[in-house]
This record gives sequence, C-alpha cells and structure tokens, in this order.
Amino acid sequence: MTTTATPLDASSAPAAPRRRRTGLRRKQHIAGVLFALPVLILEGTILAVGLGQAIYYSFTRWDGIQSTWIGLGNYQRLFADMNFWRVVLNNLILLAAVPVAILIPLLVAYLLNEHVLGWRFFRSAYFLPTAISWVVIGMVAIRVFAVEGILNNLLAAVGIDLQTNLLSGEYSAMLAVAITFIWSVFGTNTIIFITGMATLDREIYEAARVDGATGFTTFRKITIPMLMRFIQFAFILTLITGFTALFSLIFIMTGGGPGFGSTTLEFYVYQQGFKVGAFGYAAAIGIVLFVVVFGISVAQLRLFRSRLD
Amino acid sequence: MDPKRRRRIARLVMFAILCVVAVIMLFPFVLMIVTSFRSKDQYVAGEGFSLDSWSQLFAAVPILTQLRNSTIVTAGGVALILVVSTTGGYAFSKLTFKGSGLVFLAVLSGMMIPMQSIIIPVYVNLAHLKGVNQFWSAIIVYAALGAPFATYLMTTYYRGIPTELIEASVMDGASYWQIFRKVMLPLAIPAITTVAVLQVIQIWDDLLVGLLFINDPAVRTITVGLAVLQNGRVVSIPMLMAGSLVSALPAIIVYLIFQRNLIQGLTMGVNK
Repeated sequence: MTTTATPLDASSAPAAPRRRRTGLRRKQHIAGVLFALPVLILEGTILAVGLGQAIYYSFTRWDGIQSTWIGLGNYQRLFADMNFWRVVLNNLILLAAVPVAILIPLLVAYLLNEHVLGWRFFRSAYFLPTAISWVVIGMVAIRVFAVEGILNNLLAAVGIDLQTNLLSGEYSAMLAVAITFIWSVFGTNTIIFITGMATLDREIYEAARVDGATGFTTFRKITIPMLMRFIQFAFILTLITGFTALFSLIFIMTGGGPGFGSTTLEFYVYQQGFKVGAFGYAAAIGIVLFVVVFGISVAQLRLFRSRLD
Repeated sequence: MDPKRRRRIARLVMFAILCVVAVIMLFPFVLMIVTSFRSKDQYVAGEGFSLDSWSQLFAAVPILTQLRNSTIVTAGGVALILVVSTTGGYAFSKLTFKGSGLVFLAVLSGMMIPMQSIIIPVYVNLAHLKGVNQFWSAIIVYAALGAPFATYLMTTYYRGIPTELIEASVMDGASYWQIFRKVMLPLAIPAITTVAVLQVIQIWDDLLVGLLFINDPAVRTITVGLAVLQNGRVVSIPMLMAGSLVSALPAIIVYLIFQRNLIQGLTMGVNK
C-alpha cells in the first residue's frame, strides 16, 4: 500500500507532476483521520483507558476513591484464595460443556441440511432463543429445574423419582447452569453449521453414497473434516460466551450460589467488586479473565493463520 | 428392504428427531405464555385461565416507563454505534492513512476485552462524572462495547465497494463528507441494518450495564426491572412470566422481521 510509505517521500521529493496527487493524498489522509476519530475517542476513553486503569488498580487496594499500591498483593491473595479455585473449577465445567454445545448442533444441522419437511420452520424455531435475554431464559430455567418443575416431572414419568432441585445443590447448580447454557447457544451453533454445510459440495455426498457409505460414516468422514473451520469458530464463540456472557443467567438462576457453587470468573468480579467493595481485588480477577479470553482469541487467530498458510 | 423405502423411513426418523428438538426449544416459550395467563391459584392447580397476573403486573411494575427507558437506551446506543462504525469503517476501508491498519487492529482488539474486566474503573469514572442513573452513561458504555464488532462489519462491507467510485467523485469535486453521505451511506444500508439489528437485541437484553449504571426505578430498563422483580420478595410466578413475555416481545418481533440480517451478522465472522 502506498499510503504506508515513509513521510520523507512526500516532503523531500516534491516533483512537480506529483504535486496534485500528493496534495490529494494528504487531503485523503486528513479526512481518514477525521473520520476515524469518533470510534477512536469512544474506544479510547472507555475500553483503552478502562483496561489501563483496571491493570493499574489490580496492583492496589482500592475502594473507588482512594487506592494504595500493594504490588502483586491482589494476585498473591487470589492464588491463595480457595474460593477463587472453586470459581476456576466452575469455568472448567463450562469449558467441558462446550463440546456438547458443539456436537448436538452439529448433528441437528446435519439433519436439517437434508431439507426434510418443515426444515425452514425448524431452523427459525431453533434460532429463536438468540433473541431472548438471559434474564428471561434464566427465569424460565428456574421453573424447569424446580422440585415440582418440568424436569422432575419428565424424569418421574420415565420412572426416575429424583424430587430434587438441581439449583439448590452446591455441585449440581453449575450443572443446571451448564445445561441452560447449552440450550441457549444451540440455535446459534446450528445456524453456523448450516451455513457451513451449505458451502459443501453435494457431489461429494453422492460419491460417498455410490461407494456405499452410510449416513453416520459420511457425517464422520466427510462433514466433520470439511467443517473444521466452522467448528473451530463455533467452539471459540461458545467458549467466550460461556466465560463472558453468562452473568445475567447466573444472577437470575442462582446468584452465584449455593456458596460459590455457580460463581464463574466474570460473576466473581461483580461479586467482589460491587457486593464486597474490594475494587482492587475485583480488578485483578477481571485481569485474569481478560488474559484468559485474550489468550483464547489469539490462539484462534493463530490457528486460522496456520490453516491459511 | 428396498432402498427407496429405507430412505423414506430414514427421512421420517429425521423429521421425528427434529420435532422433538423443536419441542425442547419452544417449550419454555409455551410455558411462559400459558403460565402468564393464570392467576397464582390457577397456576398451583394447573388449570383455568385469567388475566389476573397481567393486571397484577401492571399494578406492581411501571411497565410503560421501563419500556420507554429501554427504548431510549437502546435507540441511543444503536445510534452512537452506527455513527462511529460507519465513519470509522469508511476511514479504515477507503481513506487509509499512515498507520491506519494498526489503528484498525487496535479497535478490533476491543472485541477481545470482556466487559467485566473493565467495568469497575469505567463505573468509577462515570460515577465521578455524575453519570450514574443517567441514560447517557449507559448509552456510552453500550456503544463502546458494541462498536468494535460493528466497525469490523462496516469496514469489511465498505471494502467491497469499488474505490474507483470514490476517486471519480473526488475528481468531480465532491468532498469526502459528501461522498460519505451521498455514496457510502446509501450503499451500506444492508450492513447498517445488520449492525442495528444485532445491537438492538444485544442492548435490549442486557442486564449488567443497566444494573450498574441505571438502577434507579425511574430510569430502569425492562430487563433490569424484571431481574429486580425476580430477586424481590414477591414471588408470583405467573406475574414474572407475564413480565418476561413483555420484555421478550420487542426483541422477538425484531428477530422475526430481521432474521436474515441476524444470521448474516453472525456468520460474517467465519466467511471473511
């Protein structure tokens, strides 16, 4: 790109025929900077300054007004904090839920792609929860998992008499959150995979059929490998959703409890910051979360790049 | 069994599976609607219908005020996002300047910052500026969170518009601002719609920013109002379901009308 040439070119060699062009280019550069300004000001003042402050305050004891530099104090405290490790475990449970949240949509998308009767309706129905807030999803989920709720009734109908509320158990609460999470991202992932399958060549399937491959074999040997790029994208998107977008769901369903049973990193930030008032400590937890998410994102970019090469 | 019959059975099985999945996905909505049309007693009994819970909801919660607040915040946030993403996208795609590639990457990296990682200092900053319980503070935060992806979408879209179009207009003596208004904006309507639809749903459905920045009953959004109701002492489940329905309805309508744009926005991440 010529626009990234050194500024010396323009000033040291102002050859006469080029003057009009360089003049134009300069005008364009100025216009470019001006048009880029609004987004830069917005992102700079909120995201960049916010992140800078979060990093700085993560090394302080801070109540929102006064801060005292304590070096790595917050981080040392964090790694010795038993609750923090419980919270990390909850994030790992969400991580473990991601493959399920990928595999089910993958299978369903495969079926949808066969274009059986009513497939358009099914697609819309599956995608609908995308429009619904986590608050509403959480509210309905509470009724599903209640003692007298649908889940227990269903289980009782097939002869399993549980009579428990998953949400009230210190370990089962996270399971309930994970199930709701899988349900919520089902539509999004299904759409991603349908889009991917639409790019596949139908002739490959025909060829496989002629060779006598059964449905499951073509799914395993053709669909999955050919969709790797989409699977990877869905995996990252789902993982980041699980780590950064479930605040409202947890807030409504469990409030992070019982104990720290369903507190994830993002929820722990809110809890330590706005409930306990330990702003510096909460900032440090937020930075840990940032490092995790940033690491996942960069890893994904790397993977994409290596595939392109 | 002859292969034709086998295939028909296979398709029948597939249809059956898809039906079961549809029931699982739609059942919560049915539950929500049915429950909202029952009184507390009818809910316990599991039969009968009435509008009791709806009148109870409108008596207990300033629904119209909350809907208005949600509309103000959503409209403001989306408008700000559209302003910065269309201008920014124009700059990063057609008016590249020295270092603009790096600047663009910096804006994009905003997508990798979780809201929770910055929310505490941002809250303290805006509190110092007397922004708590003011719509503008929530609008700015929503815009800052939504703008990186929106700018990415706009930039990618603008890159598909031929540069010759702009050069020709420059030769005709049009200013860059005129080109933006007369050429770039009209051409970008599909991308603008996608960004708007994504962000409307995002902001309408959000809880955390609303909970922190506009939590006073007078400025509360419907999503925050609902969460407060749920965590309160009043536990009339049918009333909560009625509230859920009201809060979900606008987003569902937007979804039904603009489903295509929503899918486009979602899948743009993989196709580019």
